[in-house]
Amino acid sequence: MDARLDRTLIRWPALPGWPVAVALLAVALVLAANSGAIRLGLADWQALLNGEDTQGALVLAQLRLPRVAFAIVVGAALGLAGALSQGLFRNPLAEPALLGIPSGAVCAVALMLTVLSAWAGGLPAAWRPFAVPAAALLGAWVMCGLLQGLARLLVPGAVAGLLLAGLALNALAMAIVGLCTYLATDEQLRSLSFWQLGSLALASWPVVAVLGGVVVGSLALSRRWGQALNALALGEAVAAQVGVPVARLRRVLVLVLALLSGLAVAWCGLIGFVGLLAPHAARGLVGADARRVLPVAAWFGALLLLLADTAARTVAVPAELPVGILTALLGAPVLFVLLKRAQREIGGGW
Amino acid sequence: MLLLDDATLIRHGQGFGPFELRVDAGERVALLGPSGAGKSTLLKLMSGEIAPTRGRVLLGGQPLAGLDPCTRARRRAVLPQSHQIAFGLAVELVVGLGRWAGGGGEPWVRQALAWASAAHLQGRRYDQLSGGEQARVQLARVLAQLADVERGLLLVDEPLASLDPGLQLELLDTLRAFCRERGHALVAVLHDIPQALNGFDRLILVRRGQVAADLPAGTAALPALETLFGLRLQLLPAAGGGWALAARRREAAA
Repeated sequence: MDARLDRTLIRWPALPGWPVAVALLAVALVLAANSGAIRLGLADWQALLNGEDTQGALVLAQLRLPRVAFAIVVGAALGLAGALSQGLFRNPLAEPALLGIPSGAVCAVALMLTVLSAWAGGLPAAWRPFAVPAAALLGAWVMCGLLQGLARLLVPGAVAGLLLAGLALNALAMAIVGLCTYLATDEQLRSLSFWQLGSLALASWPVVAVLGGVVVGSLALSRRWGQALNALALGEAVAAQVGVPVARLRRVLVLVLALLSGLAVAWCGLIGFVGLLAPHAARGLVGADARRVLPVAAWFGALLLLLADTAARTVAVPAELPVGILTALLGAPVLFVLLKRAQREIGGGW
Repeated sequence: MLLLDDATLIRHGQGFGPFELRVDAGERVALLGPSGAGKSTLLKLMSGEIAPTRGRVLLGGQPLAGLDPCTRARRRAVLPQSHQIAFGLAVELVVGLGRWAGGGGEPWVRQALAWASAAHLQGRRYDQLSGGEQARVQLARVLAQLADVERGLLLVDEPLASLDPGLQLELLDTLRAFCRERGHALVAVLHDIPQALNGFDRLILVRRGQVAADLPAGTAALPALETLFGLRLQLLPAAGGGWALAARRREAAA
């Protein structure tokens, strides 16, 4: 029997899916919360649960738990965004960061913090915390829309064409960011670079709640649209022929994608490759059915970023590495492997 | 059932039509013509994938463009020319997509796979199948889509071009039987003249974006086919009541 057939016939033994997933995530969460500049243990958790005011309980409640929760929701958002953009662009390499969607968000925020800062400063104080996420969202949305238009002009299924279009848009966005930096006053520059450095250190419960809500909402939506995404894998024309309202699906996907990557960028800067690794791992685990890939990609993204962030916090104590560096170190080699594989599978489709 | 009323399309500076065509329930129509003549474009107008620049395309008396995608999918299915799928979806999933509009997946999927002689492919990944197997799966998807409706429209765009002759005949027979039982109209873009003569009632010959001739399939269609393709054709009676065809280039014959 040839190896191909072998691989499809022999399956992993069926694991009881979600309890194992939740348990793994919980273990990772406890490990992550325990490690850091101050090592914590069981006693500190007990103190926290009993409401005692020990130092360990305080560190846990005010620093570690928001931080790990943030890593989980950001990771889930990035993983989900990756899976959605791969589905939308029908391209297994279409990671939002490679396509320049977060750059669009960065560009919009840079514009707001510098060129439009006078206007932004005039906003009512209550609105100001929302100004950066709103700008990021808008930027990501515009970028997503542009890409989507470009992707439809390019040869359908062309893997590299889309990535090259993303490269061009990335460069454009970064040029605008550079221009903003050049034009910025010292004070504007400081707020811009402070924001761009962004890491998961800015974790806070309200932010976790908002992003968590968006992730849960997107997952609920993708339950509804999962089968439509599968149909899209057969091509836009075929999807329309079987009855999928393709135009509406595309609008929904672009909006959700912008929401997920825009908000992730707004609160923790650029973190690449999670959106590439998570959906691939998900497909390896549960097959290509979008209805299963989407939640598993979110789960894997959460797990991956949680581990990466923990490593970033602990490798060089007391300093902290930007987590994006770690994910890039991990993800870039994987991209090469995937490119090679895509070349083999798609053949002339460049 | 399907009516093209003055349907004209202007695309990339090229004009197609105007087409005045009517396809009735249960009819089997073959679209023939040289490469680049506009057969696929005509089929796309019929399926509603492209809206005409001028004129109307009506399905069951209603403008195709105005129908919502689900209603449209319950009345017409399309078997496309190419079968690229972006991810490694499972065979049942691909066939199940045919039930997007109709619902009630599972039994129809199994039935459709059996009709397309593809039952043995269940559980496989689509992207790991051979070209012929992929064609069977796509056929099953289309059969699943129109399995539980009557007097629908099935549009087929050269799905057989890359398959070996035995499989071509088998799949074409399956399609014809399926359409006959349900009163579906079948419109197929074909390259093979004997297939068109043997299995279809009516030939629509397309040349340079126009309908060059619209005539019943039979020996009487030969002169028109000769003009269309620039060939000398000779019909030979084949065993089993069909026709075989001998073709030569016109210059060679002269």
